[in-house]
Amino acid sequence: MKRITIDPITRLEGHGKIEIFLNEDGDVANAYFQIPELRGFEQFSVGRPAEEMPRITNRICGVCPEAHHMAATKALDALYHVEPSSAAKKVREMFYSSFYVTDHTTHFYALGGPDFVMGPDAPPAERNILGVIHKVGVDIGKQVIDTRIRNHHLIKTLGGRGVHPVAGLPGGWSKAITEEERQEFEEIAKKNVDFGLFSLKLFDDIVLANQEYVDLILSDAFTHRTYYMGTVDENNHVNFYDGKIRVVDPQGGEFVKYPAHDYAKHIAERVEPWTYLKFPYLKGVGWKGLEDGMESGLYCATPLSRLNAADGMATPKAQEFFEKFYETLGSKKINGRFEPVHHRLATHWARLIELLYAAERMVELIADSEITDPNIRQVITSTPDEGIGSVEAPRGTLTHHYWTDDKGILTKVNLIVGTTNNYGPIAMSVKKAAQSLIQKGTVISEGLLNKIEMAFRNYDPCMSCATHSLPGQMPLEVTIYDHNGQVIDILSKNI
Amino acid sequence: MSTLILGLGNPILTDDGIGVLVAEEVRRQLPESSAVDISEVSIGGLTLMESMIGYDRVILVDAFYGKTATPGRIRRMDLNDLRKISPTQHSASPHDASLITAYETGKSMGFPLPEEVIVYAVDVENISEFGEKPTPAVAAAVPKVVTAILKELSQS
Repeated sequence: MKRITIDPITRLEGHGKIEIFLNEDGDVANAYFQIPELRGFEQFSVGRPAEEMPRITNRICGVCPEAHHMAATKALDALYHVEPSSAAKKVREMFYSSFYVTDHTTHFYALGGPDFVMGPDAPPAERNILGVIHKVGVDIGKQVIDTRIRNHHLIKTLGGRGVHPVAGLPGGWSKAITEEERQEFEEIAKKNVDFGLFSLKLFDDIVLANQEYVDLILSDAFTHRTYYMGTVDENNHVNFYDGKIRVVDPQGGEFVKYPAHDYAKHIAERVEPWTYLKFPYLKGVGWKGLEDGMESGLYCATPLSRLNAADGMATPKAQEFFEKFYETLGSKKINGRFEPVHHRLATHWARLIELLYAAERMVELIADSEITDPNIRQVITSTPDEGIGSVEAPRGTLTHHYWTDDKGILTKVNLIVGTTNNYGPIAMSVKKAAQSLIQKGTVISEGLLNKIEMAFRNYDPCMSCATHSLPGQMPLEVTIYDHNGQVIDILSKNI
Repeated sequence: MSTLILGLGNPILTDDGIGVLVAEEVRRQLPESSAVDISEVSIGGLTLMESMIGYDRVILVDAFYGKTATPGRIRRMDLNDLRKISPTQHSASPHDASLITAYETGKSMGFPLPEEVIVYAVDVENISEFGEKPTPAVAAAVPKVVTAILKELSQS
């Protein structure tokens, strides 16, 4: 069996790599995406007071600290048996929605978008945010940066710090919204809605109006029929902050819906001998390997998954686009809900619909009379023991589970981070991308790295949690082994 | 000349917190009346670029990890050096642009970004394990970088 290794990140050499195994005929037999993992988090946490977790866990990830902060804060609610007031929940959701607007904006314009805006075959030197701005105009670039800056301002004001928030408390939130801030946030929220609509129009003009791109989205190379997970509210609409976890099967039927604290009853993790990563799967379906279909317990948790798992969006404009999304991609309504869309590249479109929903939700929340209620924290009286908190991180359902002694000192910690849910599906996507360029022992090296990047980029995977280290580039290295394990070729970029 | 010193890194990821440690030490040693702004952040790419808007000069302190790294070695680089090692192709992160890409993006949109960006990078060995203390060779580099930065500030 031939073996191909792609090492995506120099700084975590030896850990993060893509391995592609070829069979005797020289075709791709299997592909695995090994995401680097930081080590020693449990040991670091155990023995510390649980109330530090919102500030510690937001250091795990340089990309979605707000998501870890919120999941940790909700885990503390459960740990200390205290329910936040309705006003506190709204302030948290306001903060969290603003984070979603920022995060989804960055991903679309700086990362996922360039594949479409510049075209998947454009040279990498142009396939980035600079290329996008060059093509769509400086004014649009300014809107992107303005959107980030105004939402970072809100996040900093409500979170107590930029980037790494500190405001989450068990049973509440430390920063209430003043009337002056309310007026300011209202403007931010309205601008976000305009920006969301604008971005969807841009997607229409650049992607949907181009048959070549539509064909690419619909192509088999980027399609997998898996189960889908997402958090839904009481109306089965997408919710980022709270609700029940819903899983639908590849045909769109509800497979299970459960409260987040029951995750261990429904999700198991498969250990494979060739990687330290654990692959989560649905216990109720079972492990069938890295395969898709009704019989395989692999599920996906991404913007596309959340739309698939829900019956609709809770805000009007996002709902319009939700319907357009399914109708355009050929999905039929069965028993009142759309069949899932399985085309992975549609995740980028789903992300923009979520962006619009987050913006509309901000407008709703800021208009709520409770939003400036200063009573958003409370005294804790019960003894802590165990708590589970869950939110939808942009990259998938995020679960924090803490155990403490009766003084609130951590004795055990378990986290299922967003990307983890998608380990199986990412491996399948990488395999398909590789299959299209490696056949009968012939490796079409031109475009292989790009296509593999494109395949995993739509999942927006968290590959490393300290992403700023120099030299600041993402190297890719493909090592091709023959069936005796000998290196026959090395392809690399940015090494 | 308005100056910002940014210590980059994750303070709970062993050697990755080197930039934060240096920034904290520079703050301790500079007189309170100093006009220099100092911040410790765990950011990169676009957010890093946005935090530099409005300054004439920015000094970044960060960890350097790669095949040629010798733990404790200090590198002083400018934007041109960064351009050479970080072509505008792929990002270190699948979530963000590289600093150079972000910088050029900001420039192309007319944001007032510093002409002078100096990077102090310390070669590190462990950035994948949680811990609040750097390894010995990296810790030993902290006072040296602090001295170099203070000297740089006093010469301007």
